[in-house]
Amino acid sequence: MVSSTLTRLRNLVWSAAIVSLFLAGCDGCDRDPKPNPDGPTPPDTANQVVSVGGALFSIPSPVQTSMLIKETGAKYNNGMLNSAKNAEKYTTKYKKALNVGVYGADVGYVTLYDNSQDALGYMKSVRKLSDELGILGAFDATTIDRFQSNLGKKDSMLAMVGNAYRASDAFLKDKDKNDVGVLILAGGWIETLYFTTTIAQSSSNPRVMERLGEQKYTLDNLIKALNPYRGQEEIAGLLDQLYELAYDFDAVAVEYKYVKPTTDEANKITTINSTSKVTITKEHLKSISDKIAAIRNTIIG
Amino acid sequence: MNMNYSHVPIAIGNHKKINSMSKKTFFTLAIALSAFFTANAQCDSIASLCRKNISKQYISDGQSYRALLVNQEVAEFSATFFGGSTYRIAACSGFSDGNLIFSIYDQDRNLLFTNSEHKNAPYWDFKLNSTLNCTIEAQLNSTGGTSGCAVLFVGFKQK
Repeated sequence: MVSSTLTRLRNLVWSAAIVSLFLAGCDGCDRDPKPNPDGPTPPDTANQVVSVGGALFSIPSPVQTSMLIKETGAKYNNGMLNSAKNAEKYTTKYKKALNVGVYGADVGYVTLYDNSQDALGYMKSVRKLSDELGILGAFDATTIDRFQSNLGKKDSMLAMVGNAYRASDAFLKDKDKNDVGVLILAGGWIETLYFTTTIAQSSSNPRVMERLGEQKYTLDNLIKALNPYRGQEEIAGLLDQLYELAYDFDAVAVEYKYVKPTTDEANKITTINSTSKVTITKEHLKSISDKIAAIRNTIIG
Repeated sequence: MNMNYSHVPIAIGNHKKINSMSKKTFFTLAIALSAFFTANAQCDSIASLCRKNISKQYISDGQSYRALLVNQEVAEFSATFFGGSTYRIAACSGFSDGNLIFSIYDQDRNLLFTNSEHKNAPYWDFKLNSTLNCTIEAQLNSTGGTSGCAVLFVGFKQK
């Protein structure tokens, strides 16, 4: 693992050196690549694909699934959330990072349900844990003050949360702390999946069931993103639990059909017309629900 | 007491070699680290400009995607976009628009979009009726520089 990290660091440093030498050698000339004068350039898929650790895998924002949950008419349920007071008991880097993610999902959920004061409490817990993790700038006093002054303005609050987590992610990647960044994403995803299974079990709402099944893609990406850090004992343990969960998700059927997209050039928007249909049985819902509850309990406990 | 100092000159010689190597290593490392931080700073500056393409009606997905690309390397990002949402993807390199080509492929490798067909537009919106498991590929514009920092941002809104 150390060797792998050093190799990655060495590759990164040399890439950076090449970039820097290129920039230094180009002093006084135009540093920006110029647009292609011959028109559009088709993508060349034969080129070398670069691996940059956890940066390669996107994990959807927890806020999106909370939006869907609210749209289905599900009532606010603070019993699903991790208490903001629990932040006091997380002492390891592993737990702190995961719970920064968990609280991010919680702050999104309570904000969507207009519980501004709870949202502020969660943001303060996020700030405490991120301070202890050495994440600078993203959740500082200014961010909390701005968040507080926007209480009640749901859209602004959600935008601020998204921007703060993005700043945190950028900071961690800059400092080569991708493991912490991926754990934050994992915590947010696990908390959101816990919301989804809780609602799915109580309502069997088809949209929620479908969203649950769709998480199989994200679970695959999350496992790939965590895998480079499996040399860390706690992450290896989490990965083992996620692999177990992945076996259940393997039984979720997703039928995908490609349909040609349509593009509105003037408005710079493309509609993706492809369709996907998810089939998930109640037995699998139960099994996934049990496993995700167990994983979450080890994280927030 | 007859002490054997035969190892001493060797040690001194090695020490000189080590000193010389250490200086070289230190110098190389210093340049490389300086370059590393310069490149990071450049990525930060590009990111700062690129963020402006994610307008207020879009909520950030909370991640910052970046990769240092050399020549025609391709950075690949695996992503899931949920049905019922509209996404904005912003993709930048350098300090002006049009330096980064990004393309989206579905799970069967069908090309769904490439900004190279739209003057390398620095951002584009995507409306999804169904959830999509996809790959985003980004590469530098081939007629531009030989290396650079590629930055991608994703924002979303409910339809």
